[in-house]
Amino acid sequence: MHRPPNKFSPPGGFRRADHQILYPLCDSREKKSLQCLTICKEYPSEVLLQLDPFLNELTSMFEKSKEKGSVWVTLKRSSLKSKLQKRKLSSAGESIEYRCLIRATDAKKTISTSVGAKDHLRFQASYATILKAHMTALKKRERKDRKKSTEAEKKEGTSTTTKPKKP
Amino acid sequence: MVYIVSWDEFVDRSVQLFKADPESTRYVVKYRHCDGKLVLKVTDNKECLKFKTDQAQEARKMEKLNNIFFTLMARGPDVDLSEVNGKEQMETQSVKKGSGRKQ
Repeated sequence: MHRPPNKFSPPGGFRRADHQILYPLCDSREKKSLQCLTICKEYPSEVLLQLDPFLNELTSMFEKSKEKGSVWVTLKRSSLKSKLQKRKLSSAGESIEYRCLIRATDAKKTISTSVGAKDHLRFQASYATILKAHMTALKKRERKDRKKSTEAEKKEGTSTTTKPKKP
Repeated sequence: MVYIVSWDEFVDRSVQLFKADPESTRYVVKYRHCDGKLVLKVTDNKECLKFKTDQAQEARKMEKLNNIFFTLMARGPDVDLSEVNGKEQMETQSVKKGSGRKQ
């Protein structure tokens, strides 16, 4: 079902919010797939790095996003092999080696690295250091400490009054 | 979204989710310095568990969860999690499958 062309959308086409014009071939399904294609083209490709460069880039991402913006870090188990390769390996009786795929993005660029069983401890330590150094905007629990001290005082008060009498 | 209030429940359910489907489960961390907010998400594309916080204390707990996931993902879902610091306490408390170890 084609909508009649108006000044906002070009005839026969569809203008997206970012002024990318898509010309669907037939139905809305095609339009959706075209949209997906253009979205993928717009996002820069993911850069696969070695462990240490990844950590350096992650640090700079955190530093850049201090004023505004977010940093996303995704962890996923992956063998980094296609389905075909997996099938071949399993039919050959070999075990598939899994690694931990780590992706980081600040919505402008995406970096990734993969960590195996041998390096994961070292990576874990460096990663924790980076997070501790940068996640400084979170609140420290002052109020709850005060609450705890007042609760403790209350408990002491009630315990003296509600002591059971020994027969 | 499904925000879980209890940290321990979030950890238990997310580890269960991962062990049930290690191929498609992923763990996402989003940090916004300008808002001082941290959001954690674990999903297997069918079920989604989220946890949000603005507390520094929870960030320390998150680091332990990171270690757990690193170990699970790098070594495999069948790995013995008692090796990971701090997880052992939670395992013996919540999931009573332990073979009668240190208590």
